[in-house]
Order: sequence, then C-alpha cells, then structure tokens
Amino acid sequence: MGARGHQAAWGGATTSHRGHDDGKPAAPGPAADPGTGEQAEDEPDVRFTLANERTFLAWNRTALALVVAGLGIVQLLPPFPGVPWGRHVLGVPLIVLGAAVSVTAYREWRRNQTALRRSEPMPQSVLPRILVLTITGVAALSAVVLLVSAVR
Amino acid sequence: MALPEDPEDLAPGTAAERTRLAWERTAIAFGAVGLAMLRGEPVAGLLVLVVTPLIWALGRYVSSTAPPQARSRRLLLVTVAVTGVAALAVVAAFIGHGLTRFR
Repeated sequence: MGARGHQAAWGGATTSHRGHDDGKPAAPGPAADPGTGEQAEDEPDVRFTLANERTFLAWNRTALALVVAGLGIVQLLPPFPGVPWGRHVLGVPLIVLGAAVSVTAYREWRRNQTALRRSEPMPQSVLPRILVLTITGVAALSAVVLLVSAVR
Repeated sequence: MALPEDPEDLAPGTAAERTRLAWERTAIAFGAVGLAMLRGEPVAGLLVLVVTPLIWALGRYVSSTAPPQARSRRLLLVTVAVTGVAALAVVAAFIGHGLTRFR
C-alpha cells in the first residue's frame, strides 16, 4: 500500500463517518473511497484504526476488572459456611473469563482491522455474548453456593 | 504526539487524543490491579506494577502514521500482559494466602 491510498481513504471518509469514534467504527463501504474505487486491501481511515484500538483497550480493561473481581472473591470474602470450595467456584471462572476476553478482544481487533482494510462490513462481536453468558452463569452459581451454605 | 508529515493528518487530533487517554486508562487499570494484589500477593502485585509504566509508554506512541505491524505488536503485548495477570491471579487463588488465611 502506498501513501496515496492512505490519503485517499482518509479524505473520502472525513465527512461521512463522524460520530462513530467511541464504539465500533462503521464499515467504510464503497463510498469511503470514491476517488479510486479500489477494492483491494488498503490501510483504512486512521480514525477507524484508532476507534478499533480503543474498543480493544476497553475490552481489556473489562478483562482486568473481571480478573480483579475473581481474585477479590477468592481472597477477600470470608469462606461460605459449609462450602469450603465456594469462593473458588465463583472466583476462578471470572479470572479465566478475563483471560478469554483479552485474547478474544485481540482476535476481534485483527478481524476488524482486516475488514476495514478490505472495506467489508464489520463482523459481529462475540464478546458481549461471552460476557452475558458467564456473568449469568456466575450469578446462578452464587445462588447455588448461598443455598447450599444456608442448608448445611 | 509527533507532528505528522502530512498536515491533513492533524485532523484526527481528537481521535488520537481519545486513544491516548484510553491507553492511559488502561495503564491506570493495571496500576490499580497491581496495588490491589500487592496486599495479598506482594510478588505478583509488584510484577503487575512493573507492567504499568510499560503500558503507559506504549500509549505515548499512538500515532496516525504508526505502521500496522507495530500497532499489532503493541496490542498483542497488552493481551499478553492481561493474560499474564490472569495467570498470576489463578496461581494466587490456589496457592496464595487467600486459601490459608481463613482456614
């Protein structure tokens, strides 16, 4: 890719994609590069690259929060009466989820960057689903541990 | 941020600034995790605290002209750091003070 292609993509998308800076960037589409009509891989508008990078960083902060939450459960909570494994059952999945979120965020960043280069539609992220499923699972597990602890 | 060669690249100024701030928030998150771990697991906490300025430094190199390969490597480093913190946390959860303190 040459510097010319970069500038063409940058100039073409200046007005049509404002307001997408904080979340997923919109796919530039064919309109993003009206001057050249190139469909081959090309460096995208730098703001899309930066927005993609911020999304990645935000997911990694989420991952760190999950790790800290898991570690806090294991180390700071008093043990559940009658359920000695309770804290580990709740905390360790959160820590593992944190690592999984971080790795998945990197893979999705790469995928998004490739889609941007090829002017393809943005692929859907699996991260919200992973997060929802695991948090729901840990919440259900917490209820089970509390119930078992209350019964014993 | 270094001044780009092409003045047109100055236009994304706020986007670049937001990205730099996102890097700094991420570095602060690492610092907070390190401090939180320091109490229970001093060695693990120190390791995480060492990573913090590194992440901060990576954020200083946000540039609209950064080559894609360098960008990819920087982000991979963040993923490796977060995964490493998670690994430390798992080790701390099983063999750290947390297991014995309340027994």
